[in-house]
Amino acid sequence: MPFIRINSKMVEAKVAPGQRLFSQRGSMLAYRGDVRFTPNMSGGHGGLMSMIGRRVAGEAAPLMTVEGNGTVMFGHGGHHVHVVDLTGETLYVEADRLLAFDGSLSQGTMFMGSQGGVMGMVRGQATGQGLFTTTLAGHGSVAVMAHGGVFELPITPDRPVHVDPQAYVAHRGEVRNKLSTALGWRDMVGRGSGEAFQLELSGHGAVYVQASEEKL
Amino acid sequence: MAQFRLNDPRVLSVDLAGDSVRARNGAMVAYEGQISFKRLSGGGDGLRGMVARQLTGESVTMMEVKGSGTCHLADEARHVNLVRLSGEKLFVEASNLLAVDGALRTGTTFTGLRGATQGNGLFTTTVEGTGQAAILSDGAAIVLRVSAQFPLQVDPGAYVAHTGNLRQDFVTGVSWRTFVGESSGESFQIRFTGEGLVYVQPSERNTIGGQL
Repeated sequence: MPFIRINSKMVEAKVAPGQRLFSQRGSMLAYRGDVRFTPNMSGGHGGLMSMIGRRVAGEAAPLMTVEGNGTVMFGHGGHHVHVVDLTGETLYVEADRLLAFDGSLSQGTMFMGSQGGVMGMVRGQATGQGLFTTTLAGHGSVAVMAHGGVFELPITPDRPVHVDPQAYVAHRGEVRNKLSTALGWRDMVGRGSGEAFQLELSGHGAVYVQASEEKL
Repeated sequence: MAQFRLNDPRVLSVDLAGDSVRARNGAMVAYEGQISFKRLSGGGDGLRGMVARQLTGESVTMMEVKGSGTCHLADEARHVNLVRLSGEKLFVEASNLLAVDGALRTGTTFTGLRGATQGNGLFTTTVEGTGQAAILSDGAAIVLRVSAQFPLQVDPGAYVAHTGNLRQDFVTGVSWRTFVGESSGESFQIRFTGEGLVYVQPSERNTIGGQL
């Protein structure tokens, strides 16, 4: 049940009986057919542990369940929408960037601070992103939001990618991330290039980067 | 020479093979390979450039991007336009300059009254030499040709950059109506005459003239 791109800021999804979608609350723009929207108090499915995980992690963007028989159009805040189709791998994305996703994907939260030791812990603080991130795994479609369009860069073992933390949107696959720094004494005295911190992503997968350093 | 590519209209991808480009400070969104970033003091060429910049307020800081690999540059989701220069001079507001080839020279020039009404100051940045430059616009810019028979009038807020041998004059339509609040909202224009190209964006920055 992939999302169909209508334009750069809108996607359309089909809902069929017995299937469901999750979307950010309030992101429905239009629908056809018999479709119901119910707020999702637990912030997605995945049982009690996932719910507690979300509360603790602060990854609790309000979601709603979309069920019924019809088509729904989603969009939010004039942000660009990018569709990622997962075929068994895991997508890592901040909860507030999720627009809508297939209900068949399994959700979880992941503690990002455990990667890269102390610098991993610093990551959340330095990048303005939480120490926890949402994971979606399985087969299905995910629509993520970004400021100004998204481009995808492949990550291979011989070609790691460095991303500006403010421009980072999401990544998928078996990827290790760590905060790398180019800080020298020059940066400390305020003569930096403005590129002091980067996320270094290595392994197998892909990273999604937006054309802006503005947060959503 | 560094290769400039646009896979996305808002992202400039620069392929480097040991050479360098100068880019707007902090515009890197991602890179692959071995690349280093160094802030350039003053942003111009040498001490004179630096002093000129301090005086003129054309002081968007630039960084030197050097190494081998691919560097992706973007700024607030603005559109990127590629300009290939072969000896001619490009005039662009410093705030609209994303990156220039390392071989190009940058400087500042006096623009007169035009700059003041644009809210951009009295000076503008010039880029000269042979190589590529990338300029930013709010929405995709269009390129309009100016020739001897066909002068062009542009809204100061929509003007982005120009090349060629152009003369610019300031045109006003200010009359008593403007001051009693019956103006058309198009009281000020820049008139280009001569031979050259003008880059115009589909958006109007806030300008002093824009209020009238």
